[in-house]
Amino acid sequence: MIQKLLIANRGEIAVRIIRACREMGIATVAVYSEADKDSLHTQLADEAVCIGPAPSKDSYLNMERILSAAMVTGADAVHPGFGFLSENARFAEVCEKCGLTFVGPSSNVIRALGNKQIARNTMVSAGIPVIPGTDHPILEVEEGEKEADRIGYPVIVKAALGGGGKGMRTAWTREEFSQAFLTAKKEAESAFGDGTMYIEHFVEHPRHIEFQILADSQGNVIHLGERDCSIQRNHQKMIEESPSAAISQELRSAMGKAAVGAAKAAGYVNAGTIEFLLEGDGRFYFMEMNTRIQVEHPVTELVTGLDLVKEQLRIASGLPLSVSQEEVRLEGHAIECRINAENPVKGFRPSPGKISELHFPGGNGVRVDTGIYSGYQVPPYYDSMVAKLIVHGKTREEAIAKMRSALGETILSGIDTNIDYQYEILSDPDYQAGNFDIEFLNTHRIGGISNEL
Amino acid sequence: MNFKQSFKRTVNLGILRKKHTEVPDGLMKRCKVCKTAVFVEEARQNQDICPSCGNYFRMHARHRIEQVLDEGSFEEWDTDLEEKNPMGYRGYLEKLSGLREKTGLDEAVLTGKGRINGIPTAFGVCDSRFLMASMGEVVGEKITRAVERATKDRLPVIFFVCSGGARMQEGMTSLMQMAKTSAAIRRHSDAGLLYISVLTNPTTGGVTASFAMLGDIILAEPGALIGFAGPRVIEQTIGQKLPAGFQKSEFLLEHGFLDGIVERKEMKRTLHQLLRMHALPMERKECSSEKQIAELHKKLETVFARRKPEEGMEAWDHVSLARSAERPRSADFLALLFDGFTELHGDRCFRDDPSVIGGLAFFEGRPVTVIAQEKGHGTKENVKRNFGMVSPEGYRKAQRLMKQAEKFHRPVLFFVDTPGAFCGMEAEERGQGEAIARSLYDLSALKTPVFSLVIGEGGSGGALAFALADEVWMMEHAVYSILSPEGFASILWKDSSRAREAAKVMGMTADQLKKQGMVEEVIPEEVPLTLENLPKEIGRVREGIRLFLDTYGIFSDEELLKHRWERFRIM
Repeated sequence: MIQKLLIANRGEIAVRIIRACREMGIATVAVYSEADKDSLHTQLADEAVCIGPAPSKDSYLNMERILSAAMVTGADAVHPGFGFLSENARFAEVCEKCGLTFVGPSSNVIRALGNKQIARNTMVSAGIPVIPGTDHPILEVEEGEKEADRIGYPVIVKAALGGGGKGMRTAWTREEFSQAFLTAKKEAESAFGDGTMYIEHFVEHPRHIEFQILADSQGNVIHLGERDCSIQRNHQKMIEESPSAAISQELRSAMGKAAVGAAKAAGYVNAGTIEFLLEGDGRFYFMEMNTRIQVEHPVTELVTGLDLVKEQLRIASGLPLSVSQEEVRLEGHAIECRINAENPVKGFRPSPGKISELHFPGGNGVRVDTGIYSGYQVPPYYDSMVAKLIVHGKTREEAIAKMRSALGETILSGIDTNIDYQYEILSDPDYQAGNFDIEFLNTHRIGGISNEL
Repeated sequence: MNFKQSFKRTVNLGILRKKHTEVPDGLMKRCKVCKTAVFVEEARQNQDICPSCGNYFRMHARHRIEQVLDEGSFEEWDTDLEEKNPMGYRGYLEKLSGLREKTGLDEAVLTGKGRINGIPTAFGVCDSRFLMASMGEVVGEKITRAVERATKDRLPVIFFVCSGGARMQEGMTSLMQMAKTSAAIRRHSDAGLLYISVLTNPTTGGVTASFAMLGDIILAEPGALIGFAGPRVIEQTIGQKLPAGFQKSEFLLEHGFLDGIVERKEMKRTLHQLLRMHALPMERKECSSEKQIAELHKKLETVFARRKPEEGMEAWDHVSLARSAERPRSADFLALLFDGFTELHGDRCFRDDPSVIGGLAFFEGRPVTVIAQEKGHGTKENVKRNFGMVSPEGYRKAQRLMKQAEKFHRPVLFFVDTPGAFCGMEAEERGQGEAIARSLYDLSALKTPVFSLVIGEGGSGGALAFALADEVWMMEHAVYSILSPEGFASILWKDSSRAREAAKVMGMTADQLKKQGMVEEVIPEEVPLTLENLPKEIGRVREGIRLFLDTYGIFSDEELLKHRWERFRIM
């Protein structure tokens, strides 16, 4: 079993991981930037090492310094959390080479799944449904046009190394294609230094449905049901829930089977997530596989009763899964709202600063994952998410009511937040009816704020 | 807020078995400049450049071969030379065998043959891991043998050099390697063959003072330490701290000892370009020069026919146009006329003169040497280029480049645009008169075609040192004179304000000079040249140069020199 774990991350996820370790008797090493000297994760861990100045590239993205911290403290494993180096194959590889257990899949698997084209080809050969599209890189607009005709409009042009909506354009008709292709390519070249593109069918009005899987090194792979993450703004998830209002037990079995198949095809070990797009007619397509713990993992934890981080640590230590597929029961309904330090009225502008007053809700079925406290200074350097509010109810209605109550009880002053905006989403009749897709925030004026781009 | 003391701990750190993890050897190294630990593999894929600060790490010889030569093309020579211990220095042979085992090299230099984008070349590369790549007998011998073999097989030679200097452990035997290698390079050069040296960090001592500094073309990597005495020795000797940047590549370039500094990522492309420029000798045949020259000028009559009526321009108007800030400079002509221009810097004595641009280029696929006086555009560049007023080191750079052109029988194309040679104390101290005289002397017998085009101002002796040519042509609005009209008026009439009048009597316009037989051709300007219209006007210039090269390029050395002698003999 892992004895001492270095957490190569910050904020609430670092705290979340440290808590799992505290329960399991694993010693913890926090790493922190100069801006995070007073952070909760820094103080809660058994040991803490400063790894450099505030900018991520000099601290949380600096592999050398993180490795040095692991060596100095004698840690035997590294948990990368999410973001930062969590899906960096090179980091995983270096940990492996230095004899550190990387809590996640092997570097080869991260590398293969990080390349969209390779990932897609793997899924195609495993019989997992994928969005109709090109099976080889497209560099020239003429070739792209031919492929788009074959695939059928609308199509979306994406960068092979893309992410976060960069290097991505939709063409609704043939006339729009070359413009969309060239713009996306140019953007990809400047953002990722690589203009390799691929093209696929643009799925209209889909829901973002992802399946949590767990795979141990003994070859057991299970899924823990789905999360519906369709409430997104600019490709950033805001609200996640499990189960999805749009999925029948039958569809769940089919998609869960595909997710397990996908993980097996990739030779996956540890916790991972298979993202699907679900069309209105029940057809679903593999999008990508995330090779890390996700922000929204708590909703799965609440409906399954499992601790995903503990499972990760068990798997990384070579132990088998603590449950079998048959033992997994999805009970009730869980919703998570991401609380961000940002101002929805001012275009969701980040709002760092000192938290003057803080009151979080509690009570039956209410969970708060956070790294902030009263008097905490939210630094301007990192992601603006400061807390996750997660509720668990018997039914979706109960969960929504619980979340509205909890949001309404939360007090966080000194900085701007999206709490009121989240409250408005929860109050929207379409949301309450479970009637939404990934365009929801673009097609609904929540609290008078339009997200139409 | 400090919670640290309040939080209860759940594990007892004291009883933990500390797991021993370590960074395996060779996974990481520390950059000496930015102090960052970097992954060796990442640096390797980045051509041994620090991914964090851009510092150049010393490159292992085998990596250099991979970087520069075509994959699998390297054939190693002389791997089995016997190591001797001429002074019986204690532990020397044991030290060598230890290094051999550690580095996988047989000595501090690898030599052999390889290809750069298909072009074969002899190739050598030093490896600093082996006694700081110092030169003992085996190193000197391998270098010498490689050069000898290249001379015999008529191959160019490229050496990537780094070295601490002579190998102390071998005493005088080591010193003699300086003589041996230098002599081998001389014999290679006398056979008309190319040698390019590339100086990398650090190149010092007896190696700098021998084969490293003898390249026809000497390149360096950025920031490399290059010098004879090392900085520490100098500081101890003179008891002073050396300024920052002293003895670095950039310092040497400014001081005229390097042809250029080449980024690692550009190295292979640059070397390939240079090899290509030396790979195509010009065909020559015996023929009657006079007849050919007459035919040339007959053809040029059509090319250079005036397409506009004569305007009533005064000589002074030409002077104003020639001096105009709007007028294109040499660099603008070069950019339109040539491909792959590779600038070569320095006089190898004192300084690189920015008022002279010289280098190698392709003219319609033909390698040529281009030497131009450059005024630059805008005040800042004017000042940097000294307004096109050439210093002695500028003439000496030109001399160096034209002699190199002669060695490879590459035509020399001069572009003249100068108010005159630089008048200043420094210029006199370094022998301005001697420098100009030497250019005239060398050009008069340079065994390769020489062409000169006056594009703007042709000021006196400063211009003539770029215009002792087989033919001298002028752009229509260029001027060429014994001195400036202002100077003329001031000397003869004691009144420099009568410059306009002076210009009239001086006979300095292109048409007047053609009438007098001082220049062969006047290239018409449809409209006075500007940066905007130059691309349209350049066609005639290009065609003229092509016809010149077609004609003079095939003459024998004797014919060329006889013609050039007679051209000036009658004046």
